[in-house]
Amino acid sequence: MSTSIQLKKVVKRFGAIDVIKGIDLDIEPGQFTVFVGPSGCGKSTLLRMIAGLETISGGDLLIGGERMNDTAAAKRGIAMVFQSYALYPHMTVYKNLAFGLETAGLKRDEIDRRVKEAAATLRITEYLQRRPKALSGGQRQRVAIGRSIVRDPNIFLFDEPLSNLDAELRVQMRVEISKLHERLGNTMIYVTHDQVEAMTMADKIVVLKAGEVMQTGSPLELYNRPANRFVAGFIGSPKMNFLEAKRTAADTIEVAGQSLRLSSDQLGQAMTSVPITFGIRPEHIVLGGEAGQSLGEAKVDLVEHLGGSTSVYATMTSGASLTILAPGQLAIQHGETVPLRIDAANCHAFGPDDQTLRR
Amino acid sequence: MSVSERSAAATGKGESSALARSLRGAVRRNAPGYLFLAPWLIGFLCLTLGPALVSLYLSFTDFDLLQAPNFVGMQNYIRMATADPKFIAAMRVTFLYVILSVPLKLAFALAVAMMLNRGLTGLPVYRAIFYLPSLLGASVAIAVLWRQLFAADGMINSVLAIFGIEGPSWISNPRYSLYTLVVLSVWQFGSPMIIFLAGLRQIPTDMYEAASLDGASSSRQFWKITLPLLSPVIFFNFVIQTIEAFKAFTPAFIVSGGTGGPINSTLFYTLYLYQEAFGNFRMGYASALAWVLVIIIAIFTAFSFLSTRYWVHYDE
Amino acid sequence: MSDEARVLPGQGSDHPYLRSALSHCLLMAASFVMLYPILWMLAGSLRPAEDLFGGGANLIPSQVTVAAYPQGWFGLQVNFGHFFLNSLLISSLATLGNVFAASLAAYAFARLNFFGRNFWFALMLGTLMLPYHVTLIPQYVLFLNLDWINTWLPLIVPKYFAVDAFFIFLMVQFFRGIPRELDEAAQMDGCSPWRIYYKIILPLSLPVLATAAIFSFIWTWEDFFGPLIYISDMNLYTVQLGLRSFVDSSGTSSWNELFAMSVLSLIPIFLIFLFFQRLLIEGIATTGMKR
Repeated sequence: MSTSIQLKKVVKRFGAIDVIKGIDLDIEPGQFTVFVGPSGCGKSTLLRMIAGLETISGGDLLIGGERMNDTAAAKRGIAMVFQSYALYPHMTVYKNLAFGLETAGLKRDEIDRRVKEAAATLRITEYLQRRPKALSGGQRQRVAIGRSIVRDPNIFLFDEPLSNLDAELRVQMRVEISKLHERLGNTMIYVTHDQVEAMTMADKIVVLKAGEVMQTGSPLELYNRPANRFVAGFIGSPKMNFLEAKRTAADTIEVAGQSLRLSSDQLGQAMTSVPITFGIRPEHIVLGGEAGQSLGEAKVDLVEHLGGSTSVYATMTSGASLTILAPGQLAIQHGETVPLRIDAANCHAFGPDDQTLRR
Repeated sequence: MSVSERSAAATGKGESSALARSLRGAVRRNAPGYLFLAPWLIGFLCLTLGPALVSLYLSFTDFDLLQAPNFVGMQNYIRMATADPKFIAAMRVTFLYVILSVPLKLAFALAVAMMLNRGLTGLPVYRAIFYLPSLLGASVAIAVLWRQLFAADGMINSVLAIFGIEGPSWISNPRYSLYTLVVLSVWQFGSPMIIFLAGLRQIPTDMYEAASLDGASSSRQFWKITLPLLSPVIFFNFVIQTIEAFKAFTPAFIVSGGTGGPINSTLFYTLYLYQEAFGNFRMGYASALAWVLVIIIAIFTAFSFLSTRYWVHYDE
Repeated sequence: MSDEARVLPGQGSDHPYLRSALSHCLLMAASFVMLYPILWMLAGSLRPAEDLFGGGANLIPSQVTVAAYPQGWFGLQVNFGHFFLNSLLISSLATLGNVFAASLAAYAFARLNFFGRNFWFALMLGTLMLPYHVTLIPQYVLFLNLDWINTWLPLIVPKYFAVDAFFIFLMVQFFRGIPRELDEAAQMDGCSPWRIYYKIILPLSLPVLATAAIFSFIWTWEDFFGPLIYISDMNLYTVQLGLRSFVDSSGTSSWNELFAMSVLSLIPIFLIFLFFQRLLIEGIATTGMKR
């Protein structure tokens, strides 16, 4: 079963400080939504407000169309996986899974059936009699997820669940959680500070900064059409290059001493002479060739050979530094000068208020 | 809250229902906390705060347990200050006891803790042995033992006799009786020692490494590293042990047979308070004595805290 | 607090063995002096009455006899078995109350949000410093009016109201160390605060509950002042009061019996010390207890 969630002007206040500043959000049934943002942006607080672990200072929280602001956490039909897993250390895995069901007063054989089913789903059947201390990080993670599954909730919440795992396990668990979502089809909200997790798992990403929503959209929407400089910089790795620029004509800007032609849609209403910011992703800069337009030249400072791709850190003649991600293995040396080519379609321009320029 | 209630509140029967809603919310938020707190809260109000206030009132009366208290103003306090030689004696004895026993006890505790902290094997065994007297010390049995150790024909004098010294009857000689109790207190240095040990372990080893690379001698390391870094623990032990010393009762009671003798030489303040309250049933006067004790402890604690800025070193 | 050895550099690196041997000698001598009075009492209880003072400082009795034990046991008109049973009952009931009431209050202070929490917490800490003499007389009057004098109730009932704030403080410290996410997970699992308290917090707090129970037991067992003012019927006496009566009633001739009973009165504490030493020492080290 899956349920919709709506936030209407939701506010969280600690004393005189608003940590969540009036957030509006629609989450459709069955959607996998990721809250992403730097630490302190309020993503965990927002999640905990939905869970019922934090009170809501203002606005409305609707779950399945019903106002839930004052409903106890356990009655919201929500399960949550915590960053530290929060497994009860004094109970066996079986007891951990059964605890919520016992609290709800289910019959013993019903509990047993559900626990075994969840354990089978997550391949933790053989650990059921162990204590959490005797499990590896990945196994604990599975138990934590299992504890949410047994309760058959409408909504799953994940609070940075993979941050305590090593890199390899993280990728593996990422895939497992995605598969779980596919199989169960529940509404899920996932909080992370890692934009890669957000990009790979989400149906919908909500980018937060300082208690406000910066942008909401599918991963590719955010990648292709970031609403502002913050989202542009946050989504995508390596980070987008930002260069100072100036509009010189309706469809022309001057960047690093080069004149570039963009579509006038990309430049919107920006005045000439007002400083704007030009953005280009590292993977959209081509070294050499004839395609697109020239962005001048740059001197190579450092080359990182990743095998499948090559990262190049370079300084432009204007003094601005630039990151370039080129596919394949390039035979470039430190100190070399390389010509830079870009395609106007991949360019971004931000106004003085850091919003993306649009018509 | 059910749907109907909610819509009633939302469609607004006016402010009263909004008020009722916020009131209900306040009760719901606070009820569990106060339910859990209830036993303590009842105890605090009925057995601590209430009695303390009543005792403050009684201290201005002539209450004797049999008749209703009569208000006598400051008379109890005036009598204490001007017309009660036993009070003066009790103050003298108690302050002497505090001034002698606390520093000695802490010095022993610190010295032994530092010795134990050197990474000797068998630390847990030594620690346990030194701690045992602290644990047993408050019981009547130990006070009984002490009375016997320092008796005229007790163990101490037997030991002295080996060296040809004829010891006095320590317990029944007013010149020495208090010191036997000081020794009893110092003997129980175990628990401040354990606190010192825990504190010493908090001092990072690399500070000593750096200091010895700089050529600092052991004594310099003690004065410049150990003492400053341990000063919060020393302060803590000092305050706690001083307050405890002011409150000492059992040893004096047993050793003197409840009299505080000989010649009031072991008349601890609390023993005098007990005599006045439960021997002479001067409950009003005893309440005044209790409040004077509170004031003494409060002044002492306040001064100790004020002094910390001159000698206690806190990490930022 | 861990027990592994820690060597501080720069301290006596010239003759490490000599130095440590010296330290051991010193510490062993000190240990002997510390324990000597207790051993002397034990030895004294095993001597014949006439030998006690002639034996002087010697630890080894010239003649070993356990006669003082039965003689002392039945030395008063009520036998010591009675006192031991009384003390055991009082201490057990007081301990139960202390642990229960203190853990409830500590849970509220450590985990629940309610209006005025910090205010009450500050007051609770304030009572740590308050000498009990201040509440003594009104409490006595209160118990007198309740007709509780010469019963055990004044010694037991207050513990069920957590009057000893020290134990609350001890537990608050421990509870705060339990990850809050566990409470939240239990909350998501549908637990009420009460269920979180007894299903999650209490089972995870066994060490501190044990520490509190042990100290509570020992302090009640050793308490002399409380029984002294509230109990006058010898049938209700605690061991401590029994010993006091013994001191008063016995001449010098029965010191060995007094020692025998004193030794017996220390045995429960000593056993607790033997078995729970670690908890006791950790309890002191982490909270800075007075004794």
